[in-house]
Amino acid sequence: MPYQLENRPPDLRESMYFPEIIRGIGTITKHFLKNLFFSRDANPDILARKRGGFGHSDNVTLQYPEERAPYAPAYRGLHRLVPREDGKPRCVACYMCATICPAQCIYIEAAEYPDDPVEKYPAKFVIDELRCIVCGFCVEACPKDAIRMDSGEHTPPSYERSAQIWDEKRLLRGPPVSYQYDPWLRRGSPSIPPDKLEEMRARAKPFPTVATDEASQTPGFSVRALAAEARDRAQAARK
Amino acid sequence: MAEEKKPDAAPPKPPGPPAPPPPKNPGFVTAIVDGKEVVVKPGTTVIEAAKAVGIDIPYYCYHKRLSIAANCRMCLVEMSNAPGGKLMPACQMPVAEGVTVKTDTPRVKDQQRATLEFLLLNHPVDCSICDQAGECKLQDYYMAYDRQPSRLDVPKVMKGKRVELGPTVTLDQERCILCTRCVRFMREVAENPQLGVAQRGNESFITTFPGQPLDDKYAGNVVDICPVGALTSTDFRFRGRVWFMSSARSICTGCARGCNTFLDYLNDVTYRYRPRENDAVNEEWMCDDGRTSYKYLNAGRVLVAREGRGANAQPLPRKVAPRRAAEVLLPHVAAGSLAVLLSPVASLEDLLVACKVAKEGLKVAEVYAGGRADGWQDDFLKRADENPNRKGLELAAAAYGLAVRPFADLVAAAGAGKVKALWAVGTEVPDAKAAEKLGALEVVAQSYGDTALAQHATVLLPASPHSEMDGTFVNFEGRAQRFEMAYFPKGESRPHWALAAELGAALGLPLAFASGREVFAALGPQLGAALGDFAWDSLASTGKRLGIVPLAAGTVDGRLPGNRDRVPSETTEDYRRAMSRTS
Repeated sequence: MPYQLENRPPDLRESMYFPEIIRGIGTITKHFLKNLFFSRDANPDILARKRGGFGHSDNVTLQYPEERAPYAPAYRGLHRLVPREDGKPRCVACYMCATICPAQCIYIEAAEYPDDPVEKYPAKFVIDELRCIVCGFCVEACPKDAIRMDSGEHTPPSYERSAQIWDEKRLLRGPPVSYQYDPWLRRGSPSIPPDKLEEMRARAKPFPTVATDEASQTPGFSVRALAAEARDRAQAARK
Repeated sequence: MAEEKKPDAAPPKPPGPPAPPPPKNPGFVTAIVDGKEVVVKPGTTVIEAAKAVGIDIPYYCYHKRLSIAANCRMCLVEMSNAPGGKLMPACQMPVAEGVTVKTDTPRVKDQQRATLEFLLLNHPVDCSICDQAGECKLQDYYMAYDRQPSRLDVPKVMKGKRVELGPTVTLDQERCILCTRCVRFMREVAENPQLGVAQRGNESFITTFPGQPLDDKYAGNVVDICPVGALTSTDFRFRGRVWFMSSARSICTGCARGCNTFLDYLNDVTYRYRPRENDAVNEEWMCDDGRTSYKYLNAGRVLVAREGRGANAQPLPRKVAPRRAAEVLLPHVAAGSLAVLLSPVASLEDLLVACKVAKEGLKVAEVYAGGRADGWQDDFLKRADENPNRKGLELAAAAYGLAVRPFADLVAAAGAGKVKALWAVGTEVPDAKAAEKLGALEVVAQSYGDTALAQHATVLLPASPHSEMDGTFVNFEGRAQRFEMAYFPKGESRPHWALAAELGAALGLPLAFASGREVFAALGPQLGAALGDFAWDSLASTGKRLGIVPLAAGTVDGRLPGNRDRVPSETTEDYRRAMSRTS
């Protein structure tokens, strides 16, 4: 919004110059002090350090990469293949993500388990992270909640292009997830011991029909919790 | 009392149903379906009559080549002659004179939604691992008629998830909707009742008799007629998703019957054959051996020309290869020690050019017929002769006045030393051991795969099978049937006719063809009237079509029309352009 400049001759005060210069110095001083002692940003999540109060700057400058701002829960980070509790991928190689992917960066080869309640699994699941345009359609399309972008990480840099092609061994990581009607809970699985299965059944939640933050994110994932952890780390480092 | 006991006159007959109206069109039945008048033969069911005027009534269990079960209840419609105004199954009720049928009233819609809700009640909805996804009538009809979430709040009934019924068919009992199409097919068409329904109510499932596998030679057809994903092909299982596949109209090369097929392919790989409807040849069935006969199109192919045998083999540039082949053969042309082996697996176009080159370039008077060895035969579809084009070979040879002699004669002649060089168009031979005896000859071979004879070739030229060319097969009845190119020739391979024409050009014949169509236009007249009224353009060919060509499912199973049906070829721009070129 541009300033509205009135087209008028300067009045007496303005034409004397000095009162305006002093007023300008006042404005600068006000902003200097505000930036020195008070944050411009009211978002409490943006910093992990001790803030506010006399002697603690509320300045928002981050000492990256030592300090990092936690991303919002909807941040689309590096893909991961969500594991089940027994370490196998939740993915059933339905090709939905490969079908919808506008960059065609997902390659899948299906294979068959001999003894698992879910017959089909991805023998190969490869994502070319260089080609990926991080649109998140794969996550939306997945009918099994088997691919997520909730890692909160960037794709790590590498010196070779080949290192950016992530296969199922690298993608399969993070906390495991099971839902109430997952076949390995319903029918049991030879790779899950019975007592563990009972515990999983008791804990299982229904499959989320609406993608809320809580449901679509890793259990326990919270920006505030991450900020608190970072604060603790910083305090521990100071001691 | 007495009067009541002894009525002096018989009571008047209660008024019966009104006499049927006189037929509007004598000899036919006239009815109104959704306001449209339809005139059909007596005995036609409502579902077929409605289809005739473009009204689709949904159905699962109905199949026009099987008996009527009317058990899926999806096709219930309102009919004016229904007793008590009940909804009637359109697949079972014949059209009566003057009947009014309504297929889109709120009652019918409610019924369709309710039926689908019941069918889907215990369905596992595991579309993500189901091979039928994309060509599934449950999916199609759910989107067209149901579109409501499940109201079931107790666990679903669990049944067998991976039942291997036999060598070719895997059953998922949970996905089954018990339409019993497969049971009726095995009983009525395959005439080998190996399938049945066991148990009762929502516990019932399709199964075989205990200890007896589903091993009928036509069992693969139950996969095609299964409207849902219950019966899946063990061969195709989990190998690809059908919505990625394109489909070409093709001919099965498994035997001399020449069953019409759809050849489903993706990225220059053939994934499966599905039968294509042709009442004169295969109705809409094919045998399991035919279904799995596609494998030579993908695996073990020869993709570059090569010279020399065994350890001395080295690749040969494609431009040089025909000249090199001519150099090998020419000395034997003059000496008369050359034989020509033609394979009845090659197409009619291939064999026409090969016969022309054999007659005019290589100056032989007889050709030897190779081909695969004979197999089993039955009185339904399968023929003992496992070559798709033996009749075509005979016709092509006769057109050029060449005598056709069996393969055994070639082995004998080679053994006797009368034959010292061989030009093999196709290296399929009935006896692989006998092929070893041909190893002493100079062999110029054109081959799809690295067969026993191809390994003995002095000069080997890579040939393209029927998936990679437009051409014709002549089946054992003399019926010429066209097939179309699915994808371009792989590697440096070319169709036999192109290789033969190049060889002929190297021998000094004026042969140059740009397409199979040109070959037939130039050499087809040699055949005279042998093919009857066959027209090469009968299968309107569009050549290689770029992009994904939607699967043509409509003719096989009567699935929903729409983008899944191939656009009728007569209406395509390609076809009009092709026709304007020809006329």
